Amino acid sequence: MIHKTSPEMGGMGHSVKRKEDLRFIQGKGNYVDDVRLPGMVYGQMVRSPYAHARLKSVNTEKAKKLSGVLAVITGEDLAKANLAWMPTLSYDKQMVLATGKVLFQSQEVAFVVAEDRYTAADAAELVEVEYEELPVLVDPKKAMDPDAPLLREDREQKDNHIFHWEVGDRQATEQVFQKAAVKASVNAFFPRCHPAPLETCGCVADFNRATGKLTVYMTSQAPHAHRTVFALVGGIPEQNIRVVSPDIGGGFGNKVPVYPGYVCAIVASLTLGVPVKWIETRSENLQSTGFARDYHMTAEIAADREGKMQALRVKTLADHGAFNAAAQPTKFPAGLFSICTGSYEYPTAFCEVDGVYTNKAPGGIAYRCSFRVTEAAYLIERVVDVLALELKMDPAELRRKNFIPESKFPYKSSLGWTYDSGNYEAAMKVALDKIGYAQLRKEQEEKRKKGDLMGIGISSFTEIVGAGPAHTFDILGIKMFDSCEIRIHPTGKAIARMGTKSQGQGHETTYAQIVAQELGIPAADVVIEEGDTDTAPYGLGTYASRSTPTSGAATAVAARKIRDKAKKIAAYLLECSENDLEWEPGKFFVKGAPSKAKTIQEIAFAAYTNIPPGLEAGLEAVDYYDPPNLTFPFGTYVCVVDIDKGTGEVKVRRFVAVDDCGNIINPMIVEGQIHGGLTEGLAIAFMQQIDYDESGNVQGGSFMDYLLPTAVETPHWETDKTCTPSPHHPFGAKGVGESPNVGSPAAFVNAVVDALSHLGVRHIDMPITPWKVWNVLKEKGVTS
Amino acid sequence: MPLKIEKTFEVGQPIEKVWAFLSDPRKVATCVPGAQITEQVDEKTYKGAIKVKVGPSVTDYTGEVQIVRLDPQNHEIEILGKGQDVRGRGSASMKMTGKLGALPDSGTEVKSESEINVVGILAQMGSRVIAEVSNIMFGEFTKNLQARLQQPSEVPAGQADSAEVKPIKATSVAWEAAKGVFRKKP
Repeated sequence: MIHKTSPEMGGMGHSVKRKEDLRFIQGKGNYVDDVRLPGMVYGQMVRSPYAHARLKSVNTEKAKKLSGVLAVITGEDLAKANLAWMPTLSYDKQMVLATGKVLFQSQEVAFVVAEDRYTAADAAELVEVEYEELPVLVDPKKAMDPDAPLLREDREQKDNHIFHWEVGDRQATEQVFQKAAVKASVNAFFPRCHPAPLETCGCVADFNRATGKLTVYMTSQAPHAHRTVFALVGGIPEQNIRVVSPDIGGGFGNKVPVYPGYVCAIVASLTLGVPVKWIETRSENLQSTGFARDYHMTAEIAADREGKMQALRVKTLADHGAFNAAAQPTKFPAGLFSICTGSYEYPTAFCEVDGVYTNKAPGGIAYRCSFRVTEAAYLIERVVDVLALELKMDPAELRRKNFIPESKFPYKSSLGWTYDSGNYEAAMKVALDKIGYAQLRKEQEEKRKKGDLMGIGISSFTEIVGAGPAHTFDILGIKMFDSCEIRIHPTGKAIARMGTKSQGQGHETTYAQIVAQELGIPAADVVIEEGDTDTAPYGLGTYASRSTPTSGAATAVAARKIRDKAKKIAAYLLECSENDLEWEPGKFFVKGAPSKAKTIQEIAFAAYTNIPPGLEAGLEAVDYYDPPNLTFPFGTYVCVVDIDKGTGEVKVRRFVAVDDCGNIINPMIVEGQIHGGLTEGLAIAFMQQIDYDESGNVQGGSFMDYLLPTAVETPHWETDKTCTPSPHHPFGAKGVGESPNVGSPAAFVNAVVDALSHLGVRHIDMPITPWKVWNVLKEKGVTS
Repeated sequence: MPLKIEKTFEVGQPIEKVWAFLSDPRKVATCVPGAQITEQVDEKTYKGAIKVKVGPSVTDYTGEVQIVRLDPQNHEIEILGKGQDVRGRGSASMKMTGKLGALPDSGTEVKSESEINVVGILAQMGSRVIAEVSNIMFGEFTKNLQARLQQPSEVPAGQADSAEVKPIKATSVAWEAAKGVFRKKP
């Protein structure tokens, strides 16, 4: 149980208003593009129009002659400094600027630097590049064909295969399938989509020739990791690199990788000795930076006639684009995709993934997702519904029958994860009661008689977040701990710094609430600072819902270290033994004599003015938290849709989201996170895809084609919760940011398929556009 | 993205006159907005250029036009055009087959099938824009063709070469594209 503090204290469980909003709503945020340094110049990328072409020549003469142009950097220039290629987060390498050939449309070919942004853009038009077109590989299913064009000539391995990864017991699974009474399967494609953060990527690189110090203001979700990468790749001593992530306008995984633009801006600043700004346009962001998903998946379930699941088999083809730049822990080439057994008990399971190259932008980033958990949750929740149809069983009943029971936690899944805690049936009950499930099923029956199309979709997802324990989790060798350093000032106010970096999650508020909860210093008196590598303790950053499970935990542990020292000081001040003291948020008091007390503020003052003999001055602590396990948030989402028979338009009538993320720090922020993630899930399910035509032309390269949901498309979200604390987290929290994006796509798709299932429809791939639905209706003779 | 366009239109001129005009790429080029034949390589091959302006994006394609098949008996022609943007912003190719048919009123029916493939910046604008650009260009082409055929005497070849090159208008494309949005298919 979490002790509830007063609203003035603003500890855990209070809907404290977001501190950061004060500046954001006044337009006083400080984003990368707000950074303006004296003498700053601007960079502009020249990009390839071809998806696959030999680079015959790059002529920069005309561009260099344009007044105001300072430099034009080509791949050949970078090659001289051994910087034409850079490592990716997946032990592959990626071209910074193209040499030899280009491998995707919009690939970076040259970098123009000019005195202003307009001149840079004009000069980029003057760079003459001669290409020789090569056969293009767009379809990943053809990547391993003998006649497929070889994309990566730089590799020793002369085909387009990147990795094969498997987990589970292939043979045992095979045997169960051979004898299974009932089988269900689905081929589901999770389309390539893009986080499309409101703020695109960019940086200002500022190399000071006098001090030798390089400062990079950049849109980075992981500033420390990026500093280390710059040090290792660029050979700059790490103490001379300072990465600053100022305010970030949304990241969602898009701002985890290192992009060529950052490197070029740094190279340009090192060369010219002036600050260089590079900011992407919207189209550049959509076309060349980290995409997400692009998984071609097959799932099969073996079950008995009563609907008890016996085995799960999953086979996936992963389209990684031109370079394997997937952002994920080293040991997991397909991320945490093996969470695909979901909320269900499978005695045996087998999962295999093959990654291939295609002539598309690199990426495979975790878009509001713990490394492929979104794909996994979508797949399992989809195939469970197909099994329900196969068995003619209610999908809620089938789920209930196969949930991992509450009594079995911690639960070891057949694919190797140890789920920390869960109560899936409870969450589903709240969701079904709230939406009136039984009534809706009756309504559906009536509607079907009249020929109306209505569907109910359930998704009872399980998440895996908070990467991660050092024994298995690292990125480029750096363990995935995270950190917090707290300093208490003499007047009892505090500053805390973390290795994470908020991109809109509200860290300045929630971390302060943790400090308030643990130390009894009002949240209003605690400043949170992140994103400056010169001041913040080392950490791996914010993505994959890891901030609360890692830095949040570190904050609590660091606060407890401070509390331990505070106790010593209190004992000294109260002239008693430490053992005689009791704590309540904000003060130590003598057992049985509550009036004999010292507040944390009095103790803090003493830490600088009246230090007990033998004790160090000051009151501060730092903690690097290595989580003992991941956390496993979960929930049940239920969606009701009505489909217009004439147009194929799907209208989301209701959507109930019941989340269980353990103990909650700030209910208002959690609700906001869920609203945002559900809206993204809606867009993925119905509107968005980065598609390519046969020639490799991007077909989702602007907001004309890659649609963002607005208030018009977004339905009313109804949220609720259950609370199953994490047993291993210091205050029982689990993380929540990505849950709605992970859990909702299946709910939407299941609802649409449910509305059409009596016509024999078993699956429709996302994005479910009216055009797709209308074609299905036409095929089934429902509309003409 | 390969895009198939089929067009049929009528010209109020006898079939042989239309055939004589349409089987000569130098003459045809004078009717294509923004296009120019710069050099005859051999009997069947020509070098040329075409400027296409869509909104702020101007693409200058230079390349070759080749007569793949010429069948005067059946009045059928097959042309292959290929070009690259001079600043390396992409390429385009077009395969066109044209067939003429005599009409009872001594006019001529022109049937054409084109397969256009655009790669690069222009192609990113999506098929609806490319389709609309093609539609506008075709519309202007037929208009020009009608006008040219109705002129009392044919323009000498030399004049055709030096005809003023005017890129097609961006404003009309923008409007056509805007209309295209409402017809969008995934």
